[in-house]
Amino acid sequence: MRLFASTALALALGPFAAAAQTDITFQLWGSPQEGEVWARVAEAFHAGHPDINVKVEVADWDSYWEKLRVLVSGGTPPDVFAMDAPLYPDWQSRGALLNLQPYLDADPSALDGVFPLTLEAYKTKDGYFGLPRDFQAIVLYYNKDMFDAAGVAYPTDDWSWDDLRAAAKALTLDKDGNGKTDQWGFWAEAYDQEPFWGSVIWSYGGDIVDAPAGKTLIGSDAAAAGFEFIRAMWLDDKSMPTQSQLAQFGYDGFLSGISAMGVSGHWSVPDYAAAGLNFDVAPLPKGPAGRATGVNSAGFVISARTPNPDAAWQFVKFATGEVGQTELAKLGFAVPIRESVAKSDAYLKQAVPIRHQLFVDALAYARTKPVFRGYEDWASAVGDALATIWDGDADVADALAQAVKDGDAALAKAAE
Amino acid sequence: MNGLRPLGREKLWVLVLLAPTLLGLLLGTFGAIFSTLGLSVFDWDLLTKPEFVGLQNYAELPESRLFGKALWNTVTFSALYVPLVMAASFCVALLLNRGVRGEKLFRVLYFLPVVSSPTAVGLLWIWIYSEDNGVLNAMLGMLGVEPVKWLGAKMVLWSVVIANTWGAIGEGMIIFLAGLQAIPREHYEVARLDGATTWQRLFYVTLPAMAPSLFFQAVLATIHAFQAFDYIYILTRTGNGNSSFPTLVFSIYREGFRFFRMGDAAAQAVVLTLIILGFTWVYFRMQRRWGTT
Repeated sequence: MRLFASTALALALGPFAAAAQTDITFQLWGSPQEGEVWARVAEAFHAGHPDINVKVEVADWDSYWEKLRVLVSGGTPPDVFAMDAPLYPDWQSRGALLNLQPYLDADPSALDGVFPLTLEAYKTKDGYFGLPRDFQAIVLYYNKDMFDAAGVAYPTDDWSWDDLRAAAKALTLDKDGNGKTDQWGFWAEAYDQEPFWGSVIWSYGGDIVDAPAGKTLIGSDAAAAGFEFIRAMWLDDKSMPTQSQLAQFGYDGFLSGISAMGVSGHWSVPDYAAAGLNFDVAPLPKGPAGRATGVNSAGFVISARTPNPDAAWQFVKFATGEVGQTELAKLGFAVPIRESVAKSDAYLKQAVPIRHQLFVDALAYARTKPVFRGYEDWASAVGDALATIWDGDADVADALAQAVKDGDAALAKAAE
Repeated sequence: MNGLRPLGREKLWVLVLLAPTLLGLLLGTFGAIFSTLGLSVFDWDLLTKPEFVGLQNYAELPESRLFGKALWNTVTFSALYVPLVMAASFCVALLLNRGVRGEKLFRVLYFLPVVSSPTAVGLLWIWIYSEDNGVLNAMLGMLGVEPVKWLGAKMVLWSVVIANTWGAIGEGMIIFLAGLQAIPREHYEVARLDGATTWQRLFYVTLPAMAPSLFFQAVLATIHAFQAFDYIYILTRTGNGNSSFPTLVFSIYREGFRFFRMGDAAAQAVVLTLIILGFTWVYFRMQRRWGTT
């Protein structure tokens, strides 16, 4: 009935209302469910700004970036679109994004209560060209059923990497006794720095990259010790599935129920819960140089060529504000960037009962995932070189030398 | 033959009726080729203005981390794939041409991969090649052979060649069957009366008559080999969106759409086109020399 009434009203008012209406498009990557959530946010926004209509379009990760490149280079960009922090400099440095600094200067309280670490990736010397919409910190996931079955104690907040390694060994099992491992103690995505190796390197006292100087830093002795730790788990203990073993089960070893532990961000929670896993989370273990984790924030940007920058800004402000963040928190795949929402029941009392607080606490020892122009090329160069360690085709020193060489070449190319 | 030639106003109608196809070809195919050619002498990141750089994109190709590897992979892949798929589909066509029982069923079975979704078929091959629970290693295990890393660095070339060959046998088979069935029966009868053996009949009757089909299929197989992408990508993709066996087409896609380097991607595409053009030219020369019957 309400729908009918509002349609009738819209039809009646149509010709008059249209003059004052502004339509903006908002595109993002994600699942159809995420699209629905953002459509709800857009609806809530429309209630407060009846003159602005937001059209939400969602696509999967790969299609999203392809479409976006074509739309932007073709001169018909969406007004507002989602951005991943590592790719932000590529778009920002090429003038595709609107500088939000004038709006922030006019509205100095807009960023009050936002976790400072989540803002870092979007800061440039000319101001902000994007704002974070959520953040992700990497934590340790563990499958309680597998721990119980093997009689291994759950991970504690005081674990070191050696504790994790010992537990992983104890949890690597050949359950049907056919001579082949069918449960591994640990799984990690090993190409990108974010889910695993970046945090290990930091906790061993190494560093990853100094992009302005054009230097890939993973060749240091401290970093090499971290990589050696990962190599040993993979190839000596065999407590992590190899890439080809993994390929039989899909690429997330924790999700497919073959690994007792895994590392990931909050984005995995809905998937793991939907798969029926009985799991909880713990902080990443400590290394010789302490505890570390990576923080990455997805964000919103506005096209530099939007005809409606003011309306677009209103929407971005709303979506990064309390209401938008509360909706996002309820969705359960990300951590809100606003302290007030992160402390609210909307985030802490989600349907999946795990230690959500831990993701927020991680900010105390987290570092921002390095972001710079040419990130994808660099990450692929380094990831490919490192893969030769995990596949057992090269030793750590040779692979790191190759990674530094290829990584530096990619940085040099991006600086051109 | 004059009766078949359009006369007077008919000529106009021929043009009008062909216009949609011709326009599509002109704008779509040739337009894309020429704009790629143009793009290859610019630095263009899709977002800012293209900058003319002359032949620099070509000059830098040898140093490119991705291009060198992709070119090598594509060339070695093609060198194995083309002869293999030609031989396999020719053998299958010969066997089916002898009037085997259930010939139609076999034709459908062999042609099925050609019309199946490469993604689904690729996933099936992953299952065949996988290390622990793979079908292939399970069979080898029964013979007491250690499990092989079929998609590891040492075997991956052969594994993708075999999967691709399997996927393309049906296509060559159809062409060859058509060719075989067009050979007049009398040729064989005469050969038999002259006392030719089975092998002699194959070499002196079948093969010469099949030359046009063989050349045609060789051109097609070579083009497919150099453009190979889907099976290979599904079998060899890695967690970072890369592939452990990147091919040229994949490298072009990554360079342009992932790394913001359209000019470099265009230069690679031009090189790929030239390679295919070169092979096609050689085939046509060979056909002119040996292919006329």
